[in-house]
Amino acid sequence: MDTNQHGVPATAWRKEKDARGERLEAGGKFARGKMVKPGDATALLEAIIRPGDRLCMEGDNQKQADFLAGALAQADPKTVHDLHIVQSGIVLPEHLDLFEKGIATKLDYSYSGTQGGAVARALNSGKVQLGAIHTYIELFARYFVDLTPHVALTVARAADREGNLYMGPNTEDSPAVVEATAFKQGIVVAQVNEVVDKLPRVDVPGDRIDFVVQSPKPFYVEPLFTRDPAQVTETMILTAMMAIKGIYAEYGVKRLNHGIGFNTAAIELLLPTYADKLGLKGSICTHWALNPHPTLIPAIESGWVEQIHSFGSEVGMDEYMRARPDIYFNGRDGSMGSNRMYCQVAGLYATDLFIGSTLQIDLQGNSSTITQDRIAGFGGAPNMGCDAHGRRHPSDPWLKAGREASDGHPALVRGRKLVVQIIETFSEKMVPTFVEKLDSLNLAEKLKLELAPVMIYGDDVTHIVSEDGIANLLLCRTAEEREQAIRGIAGFTEVGRGRDRKMVERLRERKVIRRPEDLGINPLDVHRSMLAAQSVKDLMRWSGNLYDPPAKFRNW
Amino acid sequence: MMEDTATRAQASWFQATARQRIDGLLDPGSFTEFLGPAERVQSPHLALFDLPAAFDDGVVIGRGTLDGKGVLLAAQEGQFMGGTFGEVSGAKIVGLLRAARDAAGGGNGKDDLPRAVLLLLDSGGVRLQEANAGELAVAEVMRAVVEARSNGVAVVALVGGKSGAFGGAGLTAATCSRIVVSEEGRIGVSGPEVIETNKGVEEFDAANKALVWSVVGGKNRRLIGGADAFAADTMSGFREAAIAVLGKVPPFDLKTLKAEQARLAGRHSKLGGCDDAVGMWKVLGIKNPPAVRDMDEDAFTGIADRLKEANHDAR
Repeated sequence: MDTNQHGVPATAWRKEKDARGERLEAGGKFARGKMVKPGDATALLEAIIRPGDRLCMEGDNQKQADFLAGALAQADPKTVHDLHIVQSGIVLPEHLDLFEKGIATKLDYSYSGTQGGAVARALNSGKVQLGAIHTYIELFARYFVDLTPHVALTVARAADREGNLYMGPNTEDSPAVVEATAFKQGIVVAQVNEVVDKLPRVDVPGDRIDFVVQSPKPFYVEPLFTRDPAQVTETMILTAMMAIKGIYAEYGVKRLNHGIGFNTAAIELLLPTYADKLGLKGSICTHWALNPHPTLIPAIESGWVEQIHSFGSEVGMDEYMRARPDIYFNGRDGSMGSNRMYCQVAGLYATDLFIGSTLQIDLQGNSSTITQDRIAGFGGAPNMGCDAHGRRHPSDPWLKAGREASDGHPALVRGRKLVVQIIETFSEKMVPTFVEKLDSLNLAEKLKLELAPVMIYGDDVTHIVSEDGIANLLLCRTAEEREQAIRGIAGFTEVGRGRDRKMVERLRERKVIRRPEDLGINPLDVHRSMLAAQSVKDLMRWSGNLYDPPAKFRNW
Repeated sequence: MMEDTATRAQASWFQATARQRIDGLLDPGSFTEFLGPAERVQSPHLALFDLPAAFDDGVVIGRGTLDGKGVLLAAQEGQFMGGTFGEVSGAKIVGLLRAARDAAGGGNGKDDLPRAVLLLLDSGGVRLQEANAGELAVAEVMRAVVEARSNGVAVVALVGGKSGAFGGAGLTAATCSRIVVSEEGRIGVSGPEVIETNKGVEEFDAANKALVWSVVGGKNRRLIGGADAFAADTMSGFREAAIAVLGKVPPFDLKTLKAEQARLAGRHSKLGGCDDAVGMWKVLGIKNPPAVRDMDEDAFTGIADRLKEANHDAR
């Protein structure tokens, strides 16, 4: 037997490779070349998956390998069990069925969206052993270190006979998932909408794909980034005006990321109107790490935007993006290409501002979207909404924020990323947004989580915008000032009514707190007609009918 | 950036409240309300359900002028209880219509009342909490519409609110002299959710808004003759359409009713076999029927106004 000089046999270096060979052979019984009939999908998965495997069913807050997830949920738990699910999204009912049936037992993930309640119940019942809730890039990073999948189920728009894949604008997580799995001797199965002779472009090379299943139905994509302008309220418009005038203009923010809420949609819809009247065109909001938000169409069409790189795509935006190659990152075939890993890194290191909404903020500025009995996960927001300590390139907004945060040592000023929370003092049903203690702490105690889920830590937050004012936390020098700055814009919530009036007035004199009138904004002037688009139909018209709104948003 | 006259005229009818619609529709300052909120004629039933009442019970009635000519008007507030017909909200509309009837018939000494009634419908139908009173209200409204029309009053329905015109509102619209609809407006009897609940999601997927609007939405209703005029979704759009329609209201006589019967029978035999709206538009001879969906108002009006089914002397 071949051994090295330490007596280790040569086969010891290729156990994974040999195991891969066995799995491929077992799965090959259901394939012609790489092609597997949809009716054989469950049998294929039973043949290639081993108990205890780490498995990724690709899917995040956008596209879903839904057909393969359904096929796996049909597997016999006597054959396939105790899987360790390592994937971005637990968003389909089938994902939870796996735990219910004992096919899977361990979970590391990052986002659960609408299944947040079911995830909390599954954790509570003990059917799920939770490793951790990650951010997207954090989980991708672990794919390459200690959570490498043995089997990955990916999803594409089309494949050719060699297994080359075309994802079009929905490239998303696939390159990261497939590379980690394939290069570590794992097995990759792809569900595709169609098999064609010639692909428009290759997003994942076929030598990384072992099996291809043509799904009976196109894969599901959630239109998560479509915000109907009809639902933007005048309070949202007010906070959006304050953010534009009090933060974007003050710091000269050109490179940025927006969250997906209605408040930030309001900002996008005010760029061609209100921000234009302020003369800000060209000096703010030119370069974006952002999904293709339909609400940004009026700003793009008005010449505000230079370029946008995207994490994923958005339903209905394909033809619009194809027609705007100077704005989006489009492949040689003309269609847009997204990449969640690249775009998350872009948002982390190459933007100067993140702004997003949240459900709860505490007195230190910590925020969470976790409420009683729901774990929605993180997705990418914590990577957008944090100061990147590895950043070394200067920019004006970054340096200005850094100067505001520092007291002395002008020779060694470190910049700060602007991390802004834009909220209303009360959310739906008059639930206060400002709280003494985040619900996520209670939930963490109840579910015995080692780490309470916090979306954005208070020490990363630089500004909070509410209809009551902007709190600039960079200018706070003590923990007490910080607390009073937050109380000072918390309106009539308990937290707001607990403010120290005198201290809040002093903070206002120092411009730590700025009211709408301090910014020259009269709330009575705010009106919906200020929005560049009033409805989804208006967005379609702005795009010259290139944007094809999803059926659920069409009231025409 | 204060709201000015021009932006108000261009404001969305769909997104507006009943009172904003009245302001945008009538000649400025001409409206006088009957039984206004200060009189607090409100639902006696909602408190039983721990539901808040509205001082106007979700219906605004009164008189004003449109292009200088007098009109009576009732507007449903679709955002209060879905614009539903309750005991009080229904009675306000009935009273308005009966006053118009009596004035036109010369019977009540109030013959200064205008001979035109505008119904700004925005309603899902009967208010379930007031079931029997609501059902009776719908029946009384329909009878009152017919009686007013037979005394020579023009009754015009304007449909373009968020709640559409379903159930009793859809039936009421069908009794009117003329119907004006916008693209966002919907007209029907059983609402999409009701059909889905009773017949299954395969029959009608109520969550598929594109499907819902293609069937019950303003464009389809206009093309198949279910509405007589198409308005842009703006205050000025409805104002212009209402002015135009009031100028050519058919008489309420046997000839009109026979024409209506013939129109409906003909439509049923021609379109009854179609599975969807695009199929109907094809039968109607529209070139490239799928393009109708995203077409702008001018292009659409151009097609609709040339179509035989959409333009008739009946109703």
